[in-house]
Amino acid sequence: MQFEWMKIPYALLTLFIVVNFGMLLGAFIQKIGARVGRRHGIPVWQNHIDLIKNYGLRSSITHGTMFYLGPVFRLSGGVGLLLFVPTIHGSEMFSNLSFAGDLILALYFVFFGALGMALGAGESGHPHAAIGVTRGLSQMSMAELPFALATFSIALQYQTLSITDIVAAQQGGMLNWTLFTNPLAVAAAMLSFLGSMMRPPFDVVLAPQEIPIGPPTEYHSSYLALMQTNRALFPIAKIVIYMNLFFGGAASWPVFFFKVFLIYLWSAFVGVVFPRFRVEQSIRWFLVWAVPLGVLSILLV
Amino acid sequence: MVSALYLIAAALAAAFLLGLLKEQWRGAAYAVTLAALAFMIWVSAGWLWAFALEGAAPVEIFTAGAEPPFAINLRMGLAEAALTLLINLTGLLSALYLKDALSRLGRRALAVLLIAIMALCGIVLTRDVFNLFVFFELIVIATGGLVLLSDDDHALAAGFKYLIVSQVISVFLLVGIIFAYHATGTLNIDGMAGASLGLKTGGALAFFLMFIAVVAELKPFPANGWALDIYESAHPAFSAIFSAATGAAALYAVDKLLLIGGADWLPVATGIGLVTFVAANILALPQTNDRRLLGYSSIAQTGLVLAVLGQRDILGDATPYIAFGLLASHAVAKAGLYWLSGLVAGRALADWAALRNRPLLLFAFVTFICMLAGLPPFPGFYAKWELARFLAAEGRLALLALILFGALVEAGYLFRWLGYLIKREAPAAETACTPHQATAVFAAVIAGWALGFVWGDLSGRNNLLLVLPLLFALAFLLLEWLPAWTKNTLAIAGMVGWFVLTWTEYDPLRLIFAVIFLIGGAITLLASYAAHGRRIGFYPSAMLMYAGMAMLIRATDSFDFFAAWELLTVGSYFLILRGKHSEPHALSYILFSLGGAFLILAGFALAAQGAPHFDIASLGQLGQPAQPLAPWIFLLLAIGFMTKTAAIGVHIWLPGAHAEAETDVSPMVSGILLKAGLFGLFLLLMTMGRQRLYGIELTHALLWIAALTALLGNLMAIFQEDAKRLLAYSSIGQMGYALFGLALMNHLGWLMALMFVINHYIYKAMLFLSIGGVAKRTGTREMYRMGGLIRMMPLSFIPVLIGIIAVSGVPPLSGFGGRWIFYNAIMTAELRLPLVVIFLAGPIAFLYLFRLIHTIFLGQLKDEFRRVREAPFWIVLPQMIYVVLLLVFAVVPGLALRHVDAYLNRFFPEGGLGWTGPAITSSYGYWNPIAIMIVVGVIFATLLAWLLFVNRRAQKVRQFNIVFAAERPFRPETTHYAWNFFAPYRKAMGFLVQPFVTRFWETLTDLLHTAGDLARRLYDGNGQSYAFHFLAFVVAVFLLRGGV
Repeated sequence: MQFEWMKIPYALLTLFIVVNFGMLLGAFIQKIGARVGRRHGIPVWQNHIDLIKNYGLRSSITHGTMFYLGPVFRLSGGVGLLLFVPTIHGSEMFSNLSFAGDLILALYFVFFGALGMALGAGESGHPHAAIGVTRGLSQMSMAELPFALATFSIALQYQTLSITDIVAAQQGGMLNWTLFTNPLAVAAAMLSFLGSMMRPPFDVVLAPQEIPIGPPTEYHSSYLALMQTNRALFPIAKIVIYMNLFFGGAASWPVFFFKVFLIYLWSAFVGVVFPRFRVEQSIRWFLVWAVPLGVLSILLV
Repeated sequence: MVSALYLIAAALAAAFLLGLLKEQWRGAAYAVTLAALAFMIWVSAGWLWAFALEGAAPVEIFTAGAEPPFAINLRMGLAEAALTLLINLTGLLSALYLKDALSRLGRRALAVLLIAIMALCGIVLTRDVFNLFVFFELIVIATGGLVLLSDDDHALAAGFKYLIVSQVISVFLLVGIIFAYHATGTLNIDGMAGASLGLKTGGALAFFLMFIAVVAELKPFPANGWALDIYESAHPAFSAIFSAATGAAALYAVDKLLLIGGADWLPVATGIGLVTFVAANILALPQTNDRRLLGYSSIAQTGLVLAVLGQRDILGDATPYIAFGLLASHAVAKAGLYWLSGLVAGRALADWAALRNRPLLLFAFVTFICMLAGLPPFPGFYAKWELARFLAAEGRLALLALILFGALVEAGYLFRWLGYLIKREAPAAETACTPHQATAVFAAVIAGWALGFVWGDLSGRNNLLLVLPLLFALAFLLLEWLPAWTKNTLAIAGMVGWFVLTWTEYDPLRLIFAVIFLIGGAITLLASYAAHGRRIGFYPSAMLMYAGMAMLIRATDSFDFFAAWELLTVGSYFLILRGKHSEPHALSYILFSLGGAFLILAGFALAAQGAPHFDIASLGQLGQPAQPLAPWIFLLLAIGFMTKTAAIGVHIWLPGAHAEAETDVSPMVSGILLKAGLFGLFLLLMTMGRQRLYGIELTHALLWIAALTALLGNLMAIFQEDAKRLLAYSSIGQMGYALFGLALMNHLGWLMALMFVINHYIYKAMLFLSIGGVAKRTGTREMYRMGGLIRMMPLSFIPVLIGIIAVSGVPPLSGFGGRWIFYNAIMTAELRLPLVVIFLAGPIAFLYLFRLIHTIFLGQLKDEFRRVREAPFWIVLPQMIYVVLLLVFAVVPGLALRHVDAYLNRFFPEGGLGWTGPAITSSYGYWNPIAIMIVVGVIFATLLAWLLFVNRRAQKVRQFNIVFAAERPFRPETTHYAWNFFAPYRKAMGFLVQPFVTRFWETLTDLLHTAGDLARRLYDGNGQSYAFHFLAFVVAVFLLRGGV
């Protein structure tokens, strides 16, 4: 695949669509969660309002260079992840910058933002930031494993590491989806998915309800705005990978919106039902329930 | 040529002359003795010259003008000349050393010394058994007298016990001689041999009695308590004679007797020698008294030579080369060490730290220890190689294994002692050393190196002392007076120069290793400019290591390879030992390394099947006798190489060794030295490929080991509080990845291993330097004591930031390339389960890397570090070079990998990469490093510019300006979250890092020590017990032999 300059405005268009969709979807999922708990919930445009508010805040401090760069790393990670993966199957316009690398690039670029963010938050000197990071990294180290195993399983299945080729192989009917051709891998991956969505039972990393913990503790104003943008963007970018690998990808934007919504809803669905795990419990949970599925999927593929 | 008889005549004449001198003419008496000994040396040296260089024939001397059996005859041949020279030299040097004591005691003591030396020469020269007995009796009397030279009160008792046991031995010898004479009618050794003594009635028993008596003179286990007491309590100069000269003479006597006994008795000699060698070495382990330890070592070495003599049936003409190589190493080193022990006031091993203030004496000690341990370039090394070659060819593998095991135990206590010497607190008292004593010690040092040269010359292989890199390294010994920066410049110039001279010779794979070893080594050495003063000992060690590596990549012959391997091991050992608290870790390093080296030695010996030269390339086409052994050879070599890469199970030496090493040493031993092991594994897999043992594919076993190494190395890294230990454990994990790539046995697997070789060199050298600089400034390596150092040391922070992104494999840096190739390589992997383990290992790297950077550089700055400065310029400079290298390698990995990729086609034509333009493609995917770098760079720069724009008024706040549960913290210690950083992870996964392996090895060493300690109780100091031991020994040999 070759680079053409036209790819840049197309990529920016994808970005624009996904950011807005992500903010709306995030709020919508919040609302669903609230309704399950018999609360009213936020309006769906709340994220947009927060974003504008955060950019508008006048107080702005910094603890140093890495603190400053943290949100930049974070959002670069989200944007990069989105752009390295083709969004709409068969569309040259929305194939983004996927010429730069294959599935492995996407897998490893996931960590770019997390690492930078962790570093930035660390410089604030706030112990809660560091505690959140240690929890997040500990949980991630096990939560990502079933996904990595599932990915490898389907790479073996389709004998390719190119996302485009994997999506192409699933075309021609729902039964061609990995979901049906390799259900073990998808099961492992979808359990892993729960671990990375910052929702119960795996949200002790941020502990959003009671004490502010994790990197956002010390960030505010435009820093927080960047992080919020990423909060909207990153789950969608990740879901795009899941959708492409396991659910046949999307050949048009409506299908895209629908599939992303359903996959997102899976984490919300589990989240409203189950209470929270401590980190060591979630590590064991992934090790006991998700990893064996991944191992089986590799052995049986 | 002066008749050899003068060896005896001169000593006798001088002894008589002494009797004529007045008691108070002490100077004259001493001069007469020295003159006599010098004359004897001249005689022996003249003969040695004639035999060795002029090819003279052995000479028989008929004492009474008649041929045997009617008179006693002596023989002077090459062996006799060499041995008498050894004896006379030891005698002269000991006499010099003993000047004060001998002058005090006067002519009687001098006469006894002369008689002792004369008798020893007599034992070597004579061909008559009764004459042998007479000379032994003379030795007994002289020894009894000379033991009393000592100031030690125990010497008298020791001498008395010796006399008791000697009389028992003499009785055996005499009775044996009587029966033998009765059976053969001759006392001549050759006559008895010709008369087939063993076939005559009672002849076998006669021989047994003679043999056992002479063997007893070698102090075999357990009949040697008397000798140990002498070693411990006698004057060290006499112990030198007792160990070097008496031992040599007695060995030759046994050798002569074996002529009579014939082939039947060779296994007995081997058995006694081997048991003695192993047992004495184990017994030496718990010793704390230096002279007693040397005594055990002497006994062990004599046992080893006896075992070699017993292998004459297969060693054939090589016997003298091997036996004398071992004997000469032992004699020179042991004499030297006994002489040195006279200079040390205390008797505990740690008291030898007194020598530390005398660099020349220290060098002498190191020389002796290396000789004893059989390291290159000393004769013992060549002898060990040849011995292994013969034993393996004849399938005497148990013997070989026991010898190597004993040698390893011996290396254990020798290097432990060396560690004490270099690392323990030196006593305040100055070490006194008279010129006479110094002469003796340094004569031994010179003799040691000269013998090394001679043995190299005789070996029919490359003489190591003529190999340029080694000479270059040794030259630094002579340049120690120069300031460190001059030596550093010379070292860098030498390494770069050698690379420029040789780089055209390497294939692409070797070229990569050559660049890392030589150019990489030179870059690392830039950091050494930060050191001041003369840095005595650093450059010879470092250059020895680099010389070994330079020789390693050029080696084609297995001997050259092994020699280079041992050299780099020794060099790196001394380098590691320089660290402040590295004594136990350096010891563990050298033991694992030597253990590994012995396995490699055994592997090569098995593969060569007796061939004098064995090309490493021929590992791939083993001849018929070796072919069925191929999996075993593979196993031995693989484990040997894996001790160097610290695969799980043999990894416990690495963390301490790498963490405790000096700031500029850690990057060398981690970034560079570990690659030597990978190079070995590359060679092994390139030549031998896949092997099956009992149906198990060995490369599959390697896959498992590699995956577990990666997982457990990483897991252990995250629980470290010490920053350098964390990096060290991370190295174990990274080497696991590299090994995994190799064991995949496909094109991309090997390419990935190579990618790890390059990457690991760059980022680990960089990280160790950076962390070393921080530790230097803060005075601690405990991460939780640090924090917030980004403000004080920003330049040290940058390499760590770049390093951790690279190590974790996150794009756009070069670590990602390694991961990408890894995923492509495993697509064709034959085994999938180990992949799961290695998948698990991957994300764990993030944990320890984040901990590394966070707890040191981020978080709260502590009060005591508010004035800490940036690391020294010379430590930062190479880090910056590494940063640039890492970025360059990230963008254009093809620079290094393309050629290797093409080269690997020879081994795996399938599955290479496509290199079209900037994009890299495989059969499964693609990767465009330049595009990734640009995309990430542009996104990052754009977002940063946006943030700078909207956040332009951001105000820099003070350290504690944070929201903290409505409080304003003011103590950084309470606010810096750093200790036990991954507590939840430890709760969940901590069970995996129980120190089982450490416990295993500890238990093993404890068992050996306990065994030694229990067996030591045999020697209760009672003369009657010792006599009983001798009898028990006789009975045991008799019964085990199944009678005679």
